[in-house]
Amino acid sequence: MTAWRRAAALARKDLLLEWRGRETITAMAGLALLVVLLLGFVLGAEAARAPAILWVALLLAATLGVSRWTQAEVEQQALETLLLYPGSREHIYWGKWGALTLLLTVLLGLLLAAIGLLFNVDLWARFPLLLGAGLLGIAGLSAVGTLFAALLIPVRGRELLMPLLLLPVELPVLLGGVRLTEAILTGSPGGGLWLGVLAVFDILFLLVAPVLYTVVLEEA
Amino acid sequence: MRLLLTLVGAATAVLLAAGLYFGLVASPPDAFQGDYVRIMYVHVPSAFAAYLAAGTVFVASLLYLWRGRALYDHVAHSATELATLFTGLALAGGMIWGKPVWGTWWAWDARLVTTAMLFLIFAGALMVRELVEDRQRGARLAAVVGIIGALDVPLIHYSVVWFRTLHQAPSITRGEIKMAPPMVAALLVNLLAFAALYLYLLLQRVRLERLEAARSAGIEP
Amino acid sequence: MGLRTEGLSRRFYLQDALRDVTLTLPAGSVMLVVGPNGAGKTTLLRILATALRPTAGRASVFGHDLVRAADRVRQITAFVGTAHGMYEGLTAAENLAFAAAMSGRPDRSADALARVGLAAAAGARVRTFSHGMKRRLALARAWLLAPQMLLLDDAFSGLDADGARLVDALVGEVTSAGGCAVLATHQWERGLHLAHVVVGLCRGRLVEVSAAAQVSAPRLSALAGGWI
Repeated sequence: MTAWRRAAALARKDLLLEWRGRETITAMAGLALLVVLLLGFVLGAEAARAPAILWVALLLAATLGVSRWTQAEVEQQALETLLLYPGSREHIYWGKWGALTLLLTVLLGLLLAAIGLLFNVDLWARFPLLLGAGLLGIAGLSAVGTLFAALLIPVRGRELLMPLLLLPVELPVLLGGVRLTEAILTGSPGGGLWLGVLAVFDILFLLVAPVLYTVVLEEA
Repeated sequence: MRLLLTLVGAATAVLLAAGLYFGLVASPPDAFQGDYVRIMYVHVPSAFAAYLAAGTVFVASLLYLWRGRALYDHVAHSATELATLFTGLALAGGMIWGKPVWGTWWAWDARLVTTAMLFLIFAGALMVRELVEDRQRGARLAAVVGIIGALDVPLIHYSVVWFRTLHQAPSITRGEIKMAPPMVAALLVNLLAFAALYLYLLLQRVRLERLEAARSAGIEP
Repeated sequence: MGLRTEGLSRRFYLQDALRDVTLTLPAGSVMLVVGPNGAGKTTLLRILATALRPTAGRASVFGHDLVRAADRVRQITAFVGTAHGMYEGLTAAENLAFAAAMSGRPDRSADALARVGLAAAAGARVRTFSHGMKRRLALARAWLLAPQMLLLDDAFSGLDADGARLVDALVGEVTSAGGCAVLATHQWERGLHLAHVVVGLCRGRLVEVSAAAQVSAPRLSALAGGWI
């Protein structure tokens, strides 16, 4: 089916370009690690703080990486060419969302390793659950991030506007992610509720964002 | 349009005067907070007006993207500005209220945090509109931001509320305010007054936008 | 009718890039668009490619309206702009494979590269290509898209005699299959033998629409230089 072919080709292209340069992941990982180190040092590296620091680092790094994700197209003036292929722009959305989600999952893995080491928390036992929770949050991050990355292309000062727009909108992901991670690690109650919050966020924006994406990418 | 404006303006003036009367004169001070509780009669209605504005932004943005009529964009733009204004007022009111009552400027109250997030989102939507060269494109992009922001409002609200209340007792709570009937009346009157104020400002702002649009269409050769 | 425009105009904020352009081009023909910088050649081509919406007027490509049937137009059009539109970090072959997937065409990237003489560079990153090679790659992409409407902006830029022959071949293939081609260029000498219709633009307005055979060389020079 053409839609799948287009989305897959786009995701593949983005990931291939990233793999060859590895600029985005390096910048994101660097920032994330820095945030973990700074917060861990300043606040104290107790295990109880780990989920919060994990998610704050993830969110800040993702906000940084999202802008760069559409940068390549803009810089190389390939955006107009991309928009002139026949077919719905929603396919472009799905391709980019998929690639960004994968990229952020790699970041998540790195972060989990870092947190496990630096905070002396045994993550390994719960790793699949933690990864699942992370993925649930990342899906939501990517859903809105992909949309905003394209939205801000013609906007002056886009690097400055991205955190201003993305972080408030993603607040439920941050809060849900932290509480869900806590529930997984310490068995505290409420995990189901926060799972629901994240799921609702994801479903809502994965339904709405692709449609709005076609509005955002009307012209190069 | 003029007639509507005059009518709404008159109603707003009357309601605001009534609200002032009820808020300052005809309602009793709170048992714990004393006269400081009267700030509630401005703070809560501001937040209410902000939510009205957010709803307007949502509907107007959707209509604009769907239908393309300039009027919808004018409404969406005006409502975004008012949303930013009223969330700012609500935040300021909340902070002014908090300082004498709890001794802090910021109470990490769920609603205050939500209001702060909304303030940033709507301010962001305004900036997106301003910082794009092609005005029409800026309007469409701002509409997208408005829609996302408005959809997010309940999610932000509930996640913030549940984050605090379900996990641990927050160190500072607003506490129950026992509302005597005159206080309820005062609050209701002011809610209505602020809703009317919002409507009045919206109509004026939309009118101004239309005049500006007509003028710049005339200027272009 | 391959191409039909009526009063096509495009305004950018306060500036008219294109004003009231009305043309027709029968199927199987080639149009040469001549004019100085800023005349509106690129704007015209971008509108025909559906990259830009007109602010006034209408146009249709093989019966499909540019605005209302934009997706249909995109299915049958290939636009080669002044920017090559390739990803520098990918190889030539990967760029073409991507183009094939995105446009729903079969992946004949190897064939396409062979036709433009880039078979040896298939596995090289586009970043390493010279300007001429990038132009050829862009032509390969256009060939891959098998368009009915071929739009070449600055058609002969960066191309040597061999490259110009490639343009000839591509245009020939498209028109002999019943399609149309629109070439915008300063270098009218290179494109004249291909053209059926010559169109002159100056400051967004049409200043010439003639059969190619009826336009003299001095006239063409004047049009290209903007002295009309």
